[in-house]
Amino acid sequence: MNWPMVAFLFLAAMVLVSAWRVATTPSITHATLFLATTFAGVAGLFFLLQADFLAAVQLLIYAGAVMAVVIFAVMLSDMRDIEPVRGRGLAAQVASSQFGWLPLAGATVLFVLFMLVYVHAAPGWPKTPVAAAPDSTSYIAGALFGSYALPFEVASVLLLAAMIGAIILTRQEGGRRS
Amino acid sequence: MNILLAAALKVVGVLVFVMANAFMLIWLERKVSGYIQRRYGPLRVGGPAGIYQSAADILKLLAKEDFMPGGADRWLWLLAPVVSMVPAVLVYLVLPIGRTFTLQDLGVGLVFFSSVTSFTLLAIFMAGWGSNNKYSLLGAMRAGAQLFSYEVPLILSTIGVVLIAGSLRLQTIVAAQTQHGWFFFEQIVGFIVFFIASIAELNRTPFDLAEGESEIIAGYHTEYSGMRWAMFMLAEYSNLFTSSALGVALFFGGWHGPWLPGWVWFLLKTYIVVFVGMWIRWTLPRIRIDQLLDLGWKFLLPVSVANILGTALVLMVR
Repeated sequence: MNWPMVAFLFLAAMVLVSAWRVATTPSITHATLFLATTFAGVAGLFFLLQADFLAAVQLLIYAGAVMAVVIFAVMLSDMRDIEPVRGRGLAAQVASSQFGWLPLAGATVLFVLFMLVYVHAAPGWPKTPVAAAPDSTSYIAGALFGSYALPFEVASVLLLAAMIGAIILTRQEGGRRS
Repeated sequence: MNILLAAALKVVGVLVFVMANAFMLIWLERKVSGYIQRRYGPLRVGGPAGIYQSAADILKLLAKEDFMPGGADRWLWLLAPVVSMVPAVLVYLVLPIGRTFTLQDLGVGLVFFSSVTSFTLLAIFMAGWGSNNKYSLLGAMRAGAQLFSYEVPLILSTIGVVLIAGSLRLQTIVAAQTQHGWFFFEQIVGFIVFFIASIAELNRTPFDLAEGESEIIAGYHTEYSGMRWAMFMLAEYSNLFTSSALGVALFFGGWHGPWLPGWVWFLLKTYIVVFVGMWIRWTLPRIRIDQLLDLGWKFLLPVSVANILGTALVLMVR
């Protein structure tokens, strides 16, 4: 077993265990911090694949900025409202954090396995590993602002609309200026 | 095995440097504060130039009781100082220390630096929440608001440099300055925004609201003592060094300079920037939280965006 393999197994275990704890831990604060660990582990996997731009952006956007937003959400909400879901009926139990993960997790695993087999069997899929680009940033920039410029711009307009919508919604709901 | 050995050597080297750097910066901070504010204590301690003070500090911290508050969230409280050290150590990876000397010259060095430093917020949140103390939580919230608002202008202020150098690799940015001249002259607006935002990111006066001792005791590290508190301080002084080093690499030509070897220039320039930071710390009073947020969102952010647009226009016309 070589060292990249050891690193991969460690990171994969870190992602899986912390993602599982996000769903099962009763405290929202702990769930938030486990989510950060999950994101950091995914960034580590990207580093292992030598996609260093993707890894750095994953850390910056998800583990950094999204975590800040989640922390604010936790801090600004009333902690008495955030009680863990206890099973009431069968439907509530399936949706709850204690029991609900089994069927959903099973379905997800089956789906991912199916996708992997399908992709592997599809023609034109490279069976040998491709050498990573020496400087992936310029390739990503070329793709984003060259051949895929239109989808990129559409996505940014969508984000802008979401941002304006969020501002309008909070203004109407609050009704008072801070 | 060679990979492991090299990695271990790098980690040990960085940790030794972090310790030595903190030892020296604490001494420097006491001296600077002593001279600026006419404090008699720091100017009269024993040893050559008062160096015994730092040794006494370390002995005191090692001997102090490590006390955990009763209602603390055990794991968060225990892990927070360790987590605060992680970004402090990781950023050394990409610093262009010498002409050919970088621990790991990543192609996205600058983005890596900003993304790793954003982890500091997690450690502060863990400490503030885990302590189960309202002053700690208030300090953590202030730190959160502050890091959150100053991260954006900090990153945007560096983009002007990236546009001129045409790379995110820190060694390439420094190398571009050896031919082009230091970016400080062209990117003076970017540098001012960068400098203000990096002082705010470090939670140092005039932006030290996160620990404002006259209002909330000591903010997020109220409940820490002994070596755990020392780890927060170690991380803070290490961050002071690394963010100054990033400023030197981006705006003052990094290792570029005549006669002396590159790494000497790099350290010399970095410590000059660190000194200016300390000078500001001991000269200015603390600002209010609304002034802090106004400065971040209404002044630094528009100025840094205008700087990017201006730089891009000039580059396009040229």
